[in-house]
Amino acid sequence: MDPLYIKLAIGGLVLLASIGLFFGIGLALAAHKFAVEVNPKVEAVKEVLAGAQ
Amino acid sequence: MKKEGMAFRAVFLVIALLLLGGCNQPQFIKEAAFQGTEQILLTFAGPVDEAWAEDRSHFTVNEEPDPDILLTIRTVSLSPDQTRLTIELSEPINPEQPHQVIAKDIQSEGRGLGTQSVTVSKSYFGHLFGILIGALLIQNFVFSKYLGLCVFFGTSQKKSTAVGMGITFTFVIVFASLMSWFLYQFVLKPYRLDYLQIIVFIGLVSLTVQAVDTILRKVNPALFKAFGVYLVLVIANCIVIAVPLILADNEYNMLESLMLALGAGVGFLLALFLMSSVRERLDFANVPVSYRGLPIAFIVAGLFALSFMGFSGMSIF
Repeated sequence: MDPLYIKLAIGGLVLLASIGLFFGIGLALAAHKFAVEVNPKVEAVKEVLAGAQ
Repeated sequence: MKKEGMAFRAVFLVIALLLLGGCNQPQFIKEAAFQGTEQILLTFAGPVDEAWAEDRSHFTVNEEPDPDILLTIRTVSLSPDQTRLTIELSEPINPEQPHQVIAKDIQSEGRGLGTQSVTVSKSYFGHLFGILIGALLIQNFVFSKYLGLCVFFGTSQKKSTAVGMGITFTFVIVFASLMSWFLYQFVLKPYRLDYLQIIVFIGLVSLTVQAVDTILRKVNPALFKAFGVYLVLVIANCIVIAVPLILADNEYNMLESLMLALGAGVGFLLALFLMSSVRERLDFANVPVSYRGLPIAFIVAGLFALSFMGFSGMSIF
């Protein structure tokens, strides 16, 4: 195969991986920094209720 | 206090980005403008030599997209103070196209200043305003391009939700478009990876939405509650992916991209507001049973689209 295509494909993989890694870490940090305390009782009550709707 | 610091930092970042996009280096040719239909006026920073200026072969003029096709220059004349030069072409200029003027071996007071080129185009702010109004009204994404219809019909039942959706959408589209513009211009294009543009832009849009969701939940819970489910719905909107693709296709610069994104966002807000005003009234109207709900909404949207057709073909400046 033409080495140009291989180069382009590898470039694309590297780009997507680095975007994913970079923004994934960014979002994780943001989620950590802007964490909102959710009352665990809300989830617990929701679990117990019949969840038809 | 901490919140204020964040806001300042965000504003500073946006201003820095704008400056980065708008800067250009100083040149000896200070200004270039169209004059009438056949003339281009160059203004120099200092006097140039008359003997150099009188020679037509020192200048070439071409439309920027076709550098091979040189336009024929009829006369070149210098103003008495030797700083303004008028190039007269033998055929009328198309002012819609930016033109490139190359001045070879500029001679100023006995010194050679080398070759300089300058781009002549219509008033830049007029151009930007034209893009904004074009995306807002003339080529409204909902009524003229039929994009984003699912969200448009889904959230236009009540005025309050419509406006909330429109404002959220404007935020998200401006941020996502600027980010995808940067990524396209500085990563995708230089490394010839533009075949990945769709997938990268989709990722950026969902990233923006997720980031706005996370940050807003903490910073402004009231606004977050008001936006509700619409924030997530923005991902499913076609306009938000159409704008970065248009930017990439048209090779827009930073400010032009900002204007197009702003126009698209505000245009969507306008469309939602108009539609929700009508649909609130339709609830009280005596609509035939088979037309109630979505069918009449489609007809109303069609009428809006027809009236927006009245803007088609308009151009500003």
